[in-house]
Amino acid sequence: MASEPVARAVAEELARWGAMRQTGVSLRYMMEFGARPTERTLLLAAQFLHKELPIRIARRALDLESLPFGLSSKPAILKVRDWYVDSFRDIRSFPEVRSPKDELAFTEMIKMIRVRHTNVVPTIALGVQQLKKDLGGSKAFPPGIDAIHQFLDRFYMSRIGIRMLIGQHVALHDPDPEPGVIGLINTKMSPMTVAQIASEDARAICMREYGSAPDVDIYGDPDFTFPYVTPHLHLMIFELMKNSLRAVQERYMNSDKHAPPVRIIVADGAEDVTIKINDEGGGIPRSGLSRIFTYLYSTAENPPDLDEHNEGVTMAGYGYGIPISRLYARYFGGDLQIISMEGYGTDAYLHLSRLGDSEEPLP
Amino acid sequence: MASEPVARAVAEEVVRWGSMKQTGVSLRYMMEFGSRPTERNLLLSAQFLQKELPIRIARRALELESLPFGLSNKPAVLKVRRCLPSLHVRDWYLDSFRDIRYFPEVRNRSDELAFTQMIKMVKVRHNNVVPTMALGVQQLKKQLCSTRKVPFGFDEIHEFLDRFYLSRIGIRMLIGQHVALHDPEPEPGVIGLINTRLSPVQVAQAASEDARSICLREYGSAPDINIYGDPNFTFPYVTSHLHLMLFELVKNSLRAVQERYMNSDKDVPPVRIIVADGEEDVTIKVSDEGGGIPRSGLPKIFTHLYSTAKNPPDLDGPNQGSTMAGYGFGLPISRLYARYFGGDLQIISMEGYGTDAYLHLSRLGDSEEPLP
Repeated sequence: MASEPVARAVAEELARWGAMRQTGVSLRYMMEFGARPTERTLLLAAQFLHKELPIRIARRALDLESLPFGLSSKPAILKVRDWYVDSFRDIRSFPEVRSPKDELAFTEMIKMIRVRHTNVVPTIALGVQQLKKDLGGSKAFPPGIDAIHQFLDRFYMSRIGIRMLIGQHVALHDPDPEPGVIGLINTKMSPMTVAQIASEDARAICMREYGSAPDVDIYGDPDFTFPYVTPHLHLMIFELMKNSLRAVQERYMNSDKHAPPVRIIVADGAEDVTIKINDEGGGIPRSGLSRIFTYLYSTAENPPDLDEHNEGVTMAGYGYGIPISRLYARYFGGDLQIISMEGYGTDAYLHLSRLGDSEEPLP
Repeated sequence: MASEPVARAVAEEVVRWGSMKQTGVSLRYMMEFGSRPTERNLLLSAQFLQKELPIRIARRALELESLPFGLSNKPAVLKVRRCLPSLHVRDWYLDSFRDIRYFPEVRNRSDELAFTQMIKMVKVRHNNVVPTMALGVQQLKKQLCSTRKVPFGFDEIHEFLDRFYLSRIGIRMLIGQHVALHDPEPEPGVIGLINTRLSPVQVAQAASEDARSICLREYGSAPDINIYGDPNFTFPYVTSHLHLMLFELVKNSLRAVQERYMNSDKDVPPVRIIVADGEEDVTIKVSDEGGGIPRSGLPKIFTHLYSTAKNPPDLDGPNQGSTMAGYGFGLPISRLYARYFGGDLQIISMEGYGTDAYLHLSRLGDSEEPLP
C-alpha cells in the first residue's frame, strides 16, 4: 500500500491531469491515420495516447470519488476507482516513448490496462445494486437520483472512448490484418452480415433459456458495406435482439398462436445507415418507456446476483443493455431511438452515421 | 369604428382578462358533464364559458400584438408588421372578446340559447385563422430572406404559433362541445363532439380513402393502404381530431411513395396502418416505404415554416380544396391535436427506406387541456 506522501502526490497528479482538456478523434481520422501503420505513425500515436489517456482516466477516477447518495463508498465502486488510479499511475510512470522499442513496450502496457478494466460495467452495476438495497428498492428512490443516471452515461461513454483508442492502437500492430480492416475498423463492414450473426447469437441464448426462439427475418442489401467498428454494431444488435426475442417469447410462450418473427430492416441513406428492429412482443406503455434507458431498473425477475460467479450472458441481466447500446451508437455520431405501441410491439431504430467525421463525445 | 375612449377601455379590459388564470377541462370531465345535458347543466356550462372564453381570447389577442417582429420601432420592421395578416386575425380576436364580454349575464334558458348562438358565430368568424396566419408567415419569411438579414426569431415565431394554435384547438373544442350538446337527437354514444365508441380502424379507413382520392386526383394513381387492427375495438375520442391527424399522415405517406415509385417499374409498396390498443394508450402507426427523410432534416418537418411543396399554393388566390403538399401546416398542427388530449405524435425515419409515424392517443381521458 502506498505511503502517505506518495498517496498525496498521486492525488495531486490526479487532480491536475483530471482538469486538463481532452482531445477527441473522429472515426474518419482513425481510418486515415491507421491506413498507413508505419513505425513513425505508431510512434506518434503512442505519444498522443501517452498524454491523452491519463487525462481521460484521471477525470473518471475523480468522478468515482464524488458520486451522490454515498455511491462512492460502496465496496464495488472503490474497487473500480482503484483500477483507474492504478492505470493512471502505470501510464504516468512510463518513461517518454522515443523509439519503436519504447513504443512496443508502451503498447503492451496499455494492453494490460485494458484487461484490468474488463469487468468495470458489471462491477459498477454491483455497486449500484448495493446502493439500491440500502435505499430500500426502487420504490424508495430519493429525488435527484437521476444524477446517478447522468454520471453513468458520462462514465460509460468515456470508457467506450478509452477502450476504442487503446484497442485501435493495439490492433494496428497486427502484422496480418484482414483485407479492408484498419485496426478495429472494418472499412467494408456489411451490416446485414453483422445482423445475421448477432441475431443467431441472441437466438441461441433464447433457446437455452426458453427451449425455443422466435424467427428473425432480415431485409436489406446483402452487398452493401460501409466503414464501422464491427464489435460495436454486434453488441448493439445483440442487445436489441435479446430484448425483442424475450418480449415475443414471453408473450407467445403459453399461447397456441404462432410467434410472429422479429424483423430487421437495414436501410442505407446518404447521411446514415439505419437499422430497424421490429417486434410484436406486446410493447411498453408510454409512461414506462423512458425507464428503459436508465440504469436503475431491470425488468428481469431475478437479476443475476453479481456477487456470485458470472456464468455468462443471460436474456435479462442487470438492465444495462439498452442505455449502453445507445452510448455506442452516439459515440460515432449516431443514435438509438425506441418507440413502442402498447399492446402490439416495439420498434428500435439504430442510426449509424456514414459521414464518419463526428468527433468522439468527450463527457 | 369605436371612438378613442371606447377603444382605450376595451384595450384595458383585454389586458386585464388576458392576465387572468385559465381553467382547463379534461376529456373525461367533458364526457361526464355532457352525458346529462339538462337545462341546468347547459346553463352552468354557458356561465363557465362566459368567464373562461374571454380569458383565453384576450391572452391570444395580446400575443398577436407583440409578435417578435412587432417589438421594434424601426420603419422597416413596422412596415413588415403592417402587412402581416396577423393584424386581421388580431381584429377577429378583439371583436370576439367584445362580443362575449358585452353579452349580458346568462341567467336562464333563453339567455343560454342566445349565448350559444353568439359563440357559434364567434367560431365561424375564426374559421380561416390558420390559412390567414400561414399567409402572414409566408410573407414574413419572404421579406426576411430578401432583406438578407440574419433570419432571427424563427424559433420564437414557431413557439408562438405552437402556443397559439394549441389554444385555438382548446377554444374551438369548448365552443364546439357546448353547441353540440344542444343537438336534440344525438347519435347513440355521442356526447357533443365526443364519440364514446369511436372505432379507430373505421376512422383510419375513412381518412385513408379521403387521402387516396386526393392522391388519385393529383397523380392519376395512388398506392394501396393496408389497415391492421381490431375492427371492433372502440374508445372515447373526438372523431374530427383523429380524422384530421390520420388524413395528414396518410397524405404525406402516399405522396412520398407516389413520388418515389411514379417513374419506376417496381411494385408500389402499400402504406401500412397498425392500430394497437393498450391500457394507457391507443397507438396508431402509419408506416411507408417512401424513401425516408435524412436524420438532419427531421426536426424541420415539425416547424410551421417549412414545406416540401415546390410551389406552395398561393394563399391569396382561390382555395381549390386540399392539395397533397401545402404550406406545411399538417404535421405541426396534427401534433398539437394529439397533445391536446394528453397524447403525442412521433416521427422516425429511415433514410433510403421510409418513414414511420406514431400517433399516441391517451385512453385515460383525464389529462387536462394544455393551457399555453
